[in-house]
Order: sequence, then C-alpha cells, then structure tokens
Amino acid sequence: MKINKKLLPYLLLIPTFLVIVIFIYVPAFDAFKMSLYKAGPFGNRQIFVGIKNFQQLFENPAYHEAVIFTVIYIITSVVITIFLSFFMGLLLTKELPGTKIFRTCLFAPYAVSPAIAGTLWTFLLSPVVGYLNYAFVQVFGIQVDWLTSKPYAFFALLFATVWKMMPFNMIFYIGSIQSVPSDLLEAATLDGASNFKKTFKIIFPLVSPITFYLVIMNIATTMFRSFAMIDVMTKGGPGSYTTNMIYKVYLDAFEYHKNGSAAAQSVILFFVMVVVTIIYFRFAERRVHYQ
Amino acid sequence: MKKTLFVLFLVFALVGLVYAVDIQFWHAMGGERIEYFENVAKEFEALHPDINVEVQFNGSYRDNLNKTIAAVNSGTPPNVVQVFEIGTQMMIDGGIIVPVQDLMDNDPTFDPGIFLTPITNYYTVDGKLYSIPFNSSTAIMYYNKTMFEEAGLDPDSPPRTFEDFIEVCKALTVKDANGNIEQTGFTWPLHSWFIEQLLAAQNAPLVNNGNGRDGRPTECVINNAAGLTIFEWLNTLAEGGYLINTKFEDWSAARNLFMSQKAGILFDSTSNVASHKANAAENGYELGTCFLPKPADAPSGGAVIGGASLWIIDGNPMDEMEASWEFVKFLNSKEQQMNWHKFTGYFPVTKEAVEGLLFSGFYQEEPDHMTAMMQLLLSVPSKNTAGAICGVFPEMRTIIETKIQEMCNGEITPVKAIDEAAEECTAAIEEYNSIF
Repeated sequence: MKINKKLLPYLLLIPTFLVIVIFIYVPAFDAFKMSLYKAGPFGNRQIFVGIKNFQQLFENPAYHEAVIFTVIYIITSVVITIFLSFFMGLLLTKELPGTKIFRTCLFAPYAVSPAIAGTLWTFLLSPVVGYLNYAFVQVFGIQVDWLTSKPYAFFALLFATVWKMMPFNMIFYIGSIQSVPSDLLEAATLDGASNFKKTFKIIFPLVSPITFYLVIMNIATTMFRSFAMIDVMTKGGPGSYTTNMIYKVYLDAFEYHKNGSAAAQSVILFFVMVVVTIIYFRFAERRVHYQ
Repeated sequence: MKKTLFVLFLVFALVGLVYAVDIQFWHAMGGERIEYFENVAKEFEALHPDINVEVQFNGSYRDNLNKTIAAVNSGTPPNVVQVFEIGTQMMIDGGIIVPVQDLMDNDPTFDPGIFLTPITNYYTVDGKLYSIPFNSSTAIMYYNKTMFEEAGLDPDSPPRTFEDFIEVCKALTVKDANGNIEQTGFTWPLHSWFIEQLLAAQNAPLVNNGNGRDGRPTECVINNAAGLTIFEWLNTLAEGGYLINTKFEDWSAARNLFMSQKAGILFDSTSNVASHKANAAENGYELGTCFLPKPADAPSGGAVIGGASLWIIDGNPMDEMEASWEFVKFLNSKEQQMNWHKFTGYFPVTKEAVEGLLFSGFYQEEPDHMTAMMQLLLSVPSKNTAGAICGVFPEMRTIIETKIQEMCNGEITPVKAIDEAAEECTAAIEEYNSIF
C-alpha cells in the first residue's frame, strides 16, 4: 500500500505525459532535426546542411521584413488592447444600468474563433458589400481597398486583432478592478485626488499583476493565433506586407514546400519566445505590486 | 437450419470482404462536385462489384497535396490523387508515383490515342505520360454583353488585342464625383496562371531550357519582350482606374465583382462557365465569352491547359494498383467525360467525348462551353503552349503576383517589377535545383 501511494501520482500523470510526448516533444525534436537539413517536398531527398538554413534566413530580406512586421504588430495591438480593455473594464465596474448586458455583448468576440473573426471583418470591410466600409465612405468620402492596399491592410488586421483580444482582457480587468479596496479610493477622494490620478496612481498599479499576465497572454496570441486572421483576411498580402513570422512558417512549409527553412524558422520562434518570457519575468515582474 | 444459414452468410460476407479491393481517391473539387464524385464512385462500384472506392474531398489543391505528402511520409499512401497541373515536376521528382505510361503500356485494351493532344502534351515529360488528364481547363474572358451595350460598345465584338482592351475598359469605367470607382472595365483574381496564359498566347516561354521541357529549368525568363508587354498593359489599366485587383488568387472576389455587375470583363477559368451562365440568367444580364487578348503585333501562340490530373501513387499492393487503373479508365470513359463537361465546363479530355458532345448538338445550345475548347484546339503547338515545367511553381506564382500588386499600387515601374520577378524566381529555382 505504501508503494502504491508513492507511485500513484506518477501513474496518474502517465496519460498526460504520453499525450505531451507524442504530440509535442516528438514533433519538436523532429523540427529541430529537420532544421539542419534541406529536403525535397516528398522527403525523398535529404541533404545535411548544418546551420546553412539559419544563415540563409538571417541574410534573407524577406525574413527581416517578417520579423519587423511581427514586432510592430505585437507592440501596437498589445498596447492598444491593454489600454482599451482597462478603460472598458473601468466603465463596466461603475454600477450603471445595463452593465450586465454590455458585458455579455462585449464578451462575444472571445467566443468566436479567430478564423470566423477574420471572415466577419473581411465581410465588414468588403469594398462591394461591407457595412463598415460603407460607413467609412459616408463619413470620410474616400473609398479604400481595405485588404489589398498598403497601410490599410495592417489597420484592418489591427482592428480584428484588438476586437478579438479585448473581451478576454476586459473580463480579467473587471474582476481585478472590483477587488481594489474601496477605502483606498475614498481616502484618495478625501485627499482631493482627481479621477485621473486615482485611476493611474491607485487602480492601475493595483491591477498590475493582471496586466502582467495579460500582456504575456496577448503577446502569445498575436504571435501565434493571429495566423488564422491573417490567412483569412489578407493571406499575408498585399505582397508580403502583413506576413508575420508564424505566417511565413506556414508559407514556407505548406505552400513552397521548403521544409528545412520552415523548421529553422520555427526553431527561431521557439528561442524568441523563450528569451521574451525570461526577460519579461525578470524585469517586468519587479514593477508588479502584489498585495 | 437458421443457424447454418447465418453461418454460411457470414462466410460469404467475409469472403466478399476479403476479395474486395479498397482504393482511395482523394480530390479537391468542392461544392456540388463532392456529391457528383460520390455518385460516380457508386456507378463504378456497380460495374465492378469487387472494387470499393472511398472518395475523399480534402479542400483546395494545396491542401490535397499536403495531405498526400503527409500520408506518403507516414506510409499510408492513397491510391489515386488529384494534383494541380503545376505540381507536375514536384510529383515526378518525388519518386512516389507510378507513371501512367507504364500502366498504359501493360494494358493492351487501352488506346492512348484517345486523348486530346494539347492535353497530353502538358503531362508528357521526356516522352513519358506521367499522369492521366482529368479536369483540364483554360482561361477565357467573360464579358457582360448588357454592360457593353449600355456603354455604347458592340456586344458581339469583344476586344481581341491589348490596345482594344484598354479602349473598351475606358468606355466601361464610370467614376463618381469624388473619383471613386462605381463601375470598372476589368477584374481578375490576381493569379499568375493568367499571366502564364497571356505569355503562351504570344508563344513566349516562362522558364528557360525549352520552357522546362528540354531539361530542368535553371532560369526564369518572364522578363522577355512578351512579359514586359503584359506588365505594361496591366500598369496602364491600373493607372487609369480601369481595373480592380483582388487579393492574391481570390477567385470568388473577382467573380462577385463581375456577377454583381461592378466589372464588365472578367478573366476566369472555363471550369466555371456553367455557374456563370446560371448567374447571368438569374441576375438578368447577357453573358459573352471569348479568347484571351494579346498585343496586336505579337506572334500567335495558344492556351496552356490548367486544372489538374490524376496521379497513381506507388507503394500500394498490385491489386489496388490495377483497381486504381480501372477506376481512372472509367473516369475517362466517354459518358463520364461528357457528363463532367456539361456539369462544370472543364474540357472533355478524350476525342470520343468531344465527338459525342458535338454530334448530340450540345454546342449549338451552349456555345459558351465551346469557347475554351476552341481556344485550345486553335493553339499553335509548341513548348511554350505545352506549359512550363518547374519544381517551384507555387513560389514563382506568389513572386509574380507580389510584383504585379506592387506595380499596380504604383510602387515600382513595370520594368523593375518584371526584372525583380525574374531575379527572385531564378533564385527560387536555383535553390530547388540544389537539392537534386
């Protein structure tokens, strides 16, 4: 019986481990191996090239563009989403009539899959039948090719990404703002603090653990889940304007069948996420106020 | 007694199961065509009770190809796969297929002369036919005769040269007070396939080494005189606002623009002629079809076939291989090809099917179905119209489409666009060749 008790936790973990090993560790190991080869599409020719795939990527201007776009995309969408959702969270904790209905409606984008979100936004921005496009034309008077012209494709993608990520952040912020002790706010009001000061000197620092968590979650979303939205809305276009690193992996692996290069790119993505997470936890955590 | 009968029944059923051959047919034809293929499989099984055909629809041509690659790599290959025409070099290099020529040579009952020559010319490399043609198409020009009349143009004489085309588009384009386009002349799916067709119409190659047919291509030669004329023509249309570009390869967006009568002319595949005719009837406009245009002073060429063909995958047992061959022969039988042509618009690939359609009076009633066929049969047979053979076609197409998009957005000149396209395509070809 004693032996059973000691072994029991490990036995219970075996199914999970099996799944993780088969679906995550083995493919990851294969990806690392594949990044050292150049292979034909059907795998019948494999030439060992060492780190040549990585060298070629570092010299490839198309890859540099993808990296730069990824960075710009992440920074703008995460910053906008965090501030927008914090603001919405503040409004929705104000005990106004109808907040419950608003919360439900505003949560809807999270329930929709990224591919559907992309399809919805493509439809809304369609130059022929899109409602949002029509509103834009009525207000500003210029017809814009939302998904096929240079700055507007990025804006369209930004709208869709922010729209998709905001509800998730908002729910966390609502919960967190509600847990800010009200006597702190009362004391601040008595001391003559303005609303702005109260928000950014009391509430925002006190919800910083949530902000910390949400920023890293949002970065992960824009790095990886944005693939569906990009594929549906712009296909990485116009040209390669909205191709980020994950979309480039897809293109190289499944459209151009350059398996070695795609595997190298996914290895680079892995290390990027490792580095980002380490730096983030080391430096950003210092600015978090835990209660 | 009942028990004995039941046991006997089980024995026969088992025997039937054991001796029945199961083959898998993977295709990329969606929509109503999914059901169409299920019915075709049932008709085949009725004729061959000892063969079971499992039909699987896998999405687009690319998805179908990726699934096949995964299946081959994992050791469970399908039997018959539909692969798009530009995957020809990739499939040959992959070493995983049985060339159809071998199966044809071993079957004395099969007459290889029944196929239409331009179509077998595409799929024959080094004198060997590798895959069986099945759904072949070419690109044609669809135009809205009603809109032509409204713009004061003759609905029965569509533009045949680039120069006339620009004039027609000018007449069709209507802009409002702010300069926004209300109605435009021309739209197309921004697909490199049309560029390849326009090159072939001028009898010009896409890659060197006889368009890839004399040997592995080492260079992309799109920046020849013919290619430059095409790019400059597109640039003129874009600058004047006479065309609307879609996202890359967005067939449905282009079709929607044409069907909603926002554009007067559409380049599309003949495989959609049936649905275009239905739509024209529904929305009350008259449809016209004609060949693709070319510059007035360019040499005459022809059309390259598009679409896909059927490949037989190696590594399956002998009886499955034979069953696959029977299935593929059935799909190419006269009645099947006639039905497929009427249902879609893809060409019938056999001469007997063409004769059957002609003599039954089908083309008198449906002249638009014949346009693409005529464009193909009136082509000058040459290596340029046989179609380019290259292993990195998907990447080359994206490069060409990107350069066209940048040019039409006014970012680069046509000369720069086409030279950069040729350069980047050549780099991609060299990288592919380094593996072999």
